[in-house]
Amino acid sequence: MTAKTDKKARKRKSSLFLTLKGLFFRTEGDIQSLLEEEQMQSPFRTILKNFRENRVAMTGVLIFLLIFLCCVILPFFYPLDLTYQDATQQNIAPGFGLLKVSKGLQGKAAQVSAGGVFAAGLDQDGVIYQWGKMDDRLKKFPAFEGRIVQISAGQNHVLALNDEGTVYTWGYNRLGLDNIPIDLRFEKVAQVAAGPQISYALTEGGKLFVWGNENIIDVNPRDYQGQIAKIAPNGTTVMALLKDGTVVQLSKKVTPFAQIPEGLSNVVDIASTDRSVAALTADGQLVVWGSPDYGTLEVPPEIQGHVTQVAAGVGHFTVLLDDGSVRSWGRDNFGQASAPKNVKGVSVSAGYYQSYVIDEKGNVTGWGLDGYLMGTDQYGRDVFTRLLTGGRMTMTVGAISVIISTIIGVIIGGISGYYGGALDNILMRLTEVVMSIPFLPFAMILSSLVGNSVSEIARVAMIMVILGLLSWPSLARLVRAQILSEREKEFVTAAKAMGIREMSIVFRHILPNVITVIIVNTTLAFATCMLIESSLSFLGFGVAEPRPTWGNMLTGSQSSQVIGTYWWRWVFPSVALGLSTISINSIGDGLRDAIDPRSNER
Amino acid sequence: MKYLKYVLKRLLYVVFVFLVVSVLMYAIYKAVPGDPVALMLDSSKKQMDPARYEQLYEQTRERLGLDKPIPVQYGVWLGNMLTGDFGFSTKYKQPVNQIVAAPLENTLMLNLFSLVLAFAITIPLGIVTAVRKNSAFDQTIQVGTIVGYSLPSFVIALVCIYLFAVKMPVFPISGSITAGSTATGMEAFGDRMYHMALPLIVMTLTSLGSITRYTRAAMIDVLSQDYIRTARAKGLREKVVIYSHAFRNALIPLITILTTWLVSAFSGSIVIETIFGWNGIGKLLFDALQQRDFMVVLAMQMFYVLLTLAGNLIMDIGYALVDPRIKLEG
Repeated sequence: MTAKTDKKARKRKSSLFLTLKGLFFRTEGDIQSLLEEEQMQSPFRTILKNFRENRVAMTGVLIFLLIFLCCVILPFFYPLDLTYQDATQQNIAPGFGLLKVSKGLQGKAAQVSAGGVFAAGLDQDGVIYQWGKMDDRLKKFPAFEGRIVQISAGQNHVLALNDEGTVYTWGYNRLGLDNIPIDLRFEKVAQVAAGPQISYALTEGGKLFVWGNENIIDVNPRDYQGQIAKIAPNGTTVMALLKDGTVVQLSKKVTPFAQIPEGLSNVVDIASTDRSVAALTADGQLVVWGSPDYGTLEVPPEIQGHVTQVAAGVGHFTVLLDDGSVRSWGRDNFGQASAPKNVKGVSVSAGYYQSYVIDEKGNVTGWGLDGYLMGTDQYGRDVFTRLLTGGRMTMTVGAISVIISTIIGVIIGGISGYYGGALDNILMRLTEVVMSIPFLPFAMILSSLVGNSVSEIARVAMIMVILGLLSWPSLARLVRAQILSEREKEFVTAAKAMGIREMSIVFRHILPNVITVIIVNTTLAFATCMLIESSLSFLGFGVAEPRPTWGNMLTGSQSSQVIGTYWWRWVFPSVALGLSTISINSIGDGLRDAIDPRSNER
Repeated sequence: MKYLKYVLKRLLYVVFVFLVVSVLMYAIYKAVPGDPVALMLDSSKKQMDPARYEQLYEQTRERLGLDKPIPVQYGVWLGNMLTGDFGFSTKYKQPVNQIVAAPLENTLMLNLFSLVLAFAITIPLGIVTAVRKNSAFDQTIQVGTIVGYSLPSFVIALVCIYLFAVKMPVFPISGSITAGSTATGMEAFGDRMYHMALPLIVMTLTSLGSITRYTRAAMIDVLSQDYIRTARAKGLREKVVIYSHAFRNALIPLITILTTWLVSAFSGSIVIETIFGWNGIGKLLFDALQQRDFMVVLAMQMFYVLLTLAGNLIMDIGYALVDPRIKLEG
């Protein structure tokens, strides 16, 4: 008994295997009767040939494959940090060239200062050059008097100092940035520094003046006025090097920067990232403290004792060694910690995500952030990497929900069509109930009711299941109708008359005819599921921020400001989504045309 | 007689499905964590002393019928709903049916106008492409329709905003009426139409692709029939053949499309209403979901179910009416 069923099972398996094999390979070598071969193979070859001749569909295949491969492979090269946000990089237009130093500066550079997405350079004659992404206010220099000797670029404004100790500012002028303190006129300024929405000027007498938005940065220099030799501002506070060679934090707040190593003295230079502070002592040793993020605390051991100058961006340090070479370490998301070799530098500078070195001939070399291929969004996140990862998410959700709905649809449709009778009646009523549930409102309600109480991954899984559970009825009906009609066809009657077993008829004769319908339907449903997922995510009921999908990348972009000015935020996701669904649909259409010979005659 | 029996059978079936879906929806609604009474009285909790608050809480609970077992609550809810009482909105502190009236009118207006527009464009287009199939014109339209039904409505909406509100500022981006407008009569209607222009354009555009394809397919099917060849062989003018013989028969599958399209358009207008701030029921559902105003959500959901069921019923009956060959046992 068991042996018999075993044999039966093996036979069934083998017949299914042959069917699948017949789908993809030529089976001429197999021992088959001529009749079966005619029925099995020629339709598929015709379909393939028809499909290949359809130019629209083949273009669709190409475009879809391209997008699909991009979204599957490229995220490994451009990994997305979900928690990343940066207020200094908001809404930056696509394009590169942020490191393209002005030609006039080459050969006579004296100082370079890197800002948010631009940089300013000063040549030996006191002429200022700017490059990168600048608005009109940044391009408009004030009327200078005397010779400019020092510049400092902030997030979107610049400070300059002339040889008489007068300070100039241009660029972003809100929040009191253009109100240079009147008292400063009577002082001789030694150092200017531009921070995010804030400006600092340090006088030769060691007194610090601060103006701009003092709400986000806590500075309180009162205790040290008159003793400060150099300041190093960052996004949280200001570190100061005092005239006695010690380092202090100019704030009462408890920050990682306040834990200044004990016994630190003889400091000649300081620099500070948003996470850590570096102090250079007179013997070339570098002392770094702060929080361990981005690896800024991991100073390359071989440089100790050789450092002559230190500079810092928001997440990286750049140092100049006594042999003229440069080293960078820390955060490397834009390559800012990958310093060029073979450079003989005389001074280094760093700011935000860039570093620059000036060599003996006065030439400037920069590394770090060169630009964004597709710009950045309202939180300063790179649209390109989000597009890739978002595409992967959209396609995964689409694919899995289609698989779920296809499995349910084929099983229910198959059972209904094959067994008929009361079971068919019940299943079809069930199908109609599911069909009369309005799709989008129901999915919205389910995801907002259930979705808020589950984890992020569970929420994504839930969306796939909701989509899968709601979209199977049309396929079930189609499969049922197909199986019903195939069962009544002559070739089935003929097969029955020849005494072929029922299972064999179902799997070898009916299934191949139904599979084409299933494939076409699955292709078209894939596009539909992607569309519904994006609509849900667009409305905020699908995959939630910060996890990107093509849908939620477009959330909130219907304002005229985004549509008109920040076009890259909606154009790229829309084009990606549109191209994918168009190509999938044209593939599905092409398949249907290839499969249905009648449509060729039409 | 046979026909009446068929209609009755379909009606009975609609009632059955409605009950099943309503039980399902109510179960989901009840499964949501959170206490609607506490939510409703949230503002007065701080100001009242605990004992009085407790009393008020119990009173409200009783008033809303939340102290009874869930099946009884369901029965009361269903009974109320069938008599036109959709419950009480926790956000607006008003009965739901008062809130729904104006948005319902807006949504109906948007959908009906776009229905007229869409069919006025697609039916002639479908006929022409079917008659001149495989011509360059037809193939261009075919590619266009694939693009049309592949693009999500919000992408079309963004492009339309870009074209008609940013590049050429002719239409307003959002709202249903001009703020502070006191216009009446024709003027008020004109103002409304002006605000409806962009949502209407987008809604019509989103539905062009699929309906054109359906019309074309239906026409092609009919044009390949024998009786069309007979009509031509009789020497009838081509116009008569196409519009009188072919198109009337192609209308049968189009009825199916009309109802399913209308139902999906109501769902689809959620996205469009949200984007354009059009005060319709889609936006109402969206806002209610965001504010967790579940009585409104439940009422909206039942409205959508009812709409779908009514659509299916009309489709079945209409189908049977137009095509006598359809077996009424179905």
